[in-house]
Amino acid sequence: MTVVVSICIFILAATIIVGLLRVLTAKDLGSRAIVSDLVYFSSIGILTMIGIQVSSSIVIDIIFLASMVGILATIALARILTRGLR
Amino acid sequence: MNDVTATVLVGVFGISGSLLMLFSALAMFRVRDALSRINVFSPATGLGMPLIVAAAYVYVLHTEGFAWITLLMAVGAFVCLIIVSSVASNTLSRSSVLSGQPVHRKTSPNRLAHPPAGVVDVDPDAPAAAEETGES
Repeated sequence: MTVVVSICIFILAATIIVGLLRVLTAKDLGSRAIVSDLVYFSSIGILTMIGIQVSSSIVIDIIFLASMVGILATIALARILTRGLR
Repeated sequence: MNDVTATVLVGVFGISGSLLMLFSALAMFRVRDALSRINVFSPATGLGMPLIVAAAYVYVLHTEGFAWITLLMAVGAFVCLIIVSSVASNTLSRSSVLSGQPVHRKTSPNRLAHPPAGVVDVDPDAPAAAEETGES
């Protein structure tokens, strides 16, 4: 189980690094907003894998709450892009 | 469920989900505008994260045994990821278009560039027309 979890964490960390490189090279705000979403979901995946690694009993709780409130950051960024207008 | 089966299932679900996230991040380098990046991000939240949820549920099933509340939370997380990420992508792409983010010049067909046939186009730079669209 340790090897599997390590591979998953490595791939998700590589995802975050690739996304941050994309933020460095992209100049428009929409791309940066969607990359922030990618980093959020990747970090949730890493947190889940760490929970599996340490045999935590709240793995499902973490991912349930994170998937429910994940919309808030995206909606906030969407409102910021339009400067508060709908 | 024995140990090997649980490890293999967690490995298959977890690694394929993580690879989908990585491939979505790599696909963001191949497309040229924000709308297409929002588009290629969909596999990550629509399939990658639910696969990671499946991996976590298999692990919990292996360690703690079956419980209805755990199954309910896993199904809730699964459904929330699919619905919530779709709504969020829709909202973000709409605001991306409305705030005037550039679309790649080779996009074809680009039906947002010109008004449909038979529609009277109002000049968006005129101040009166801008206030009118802002209120509606």
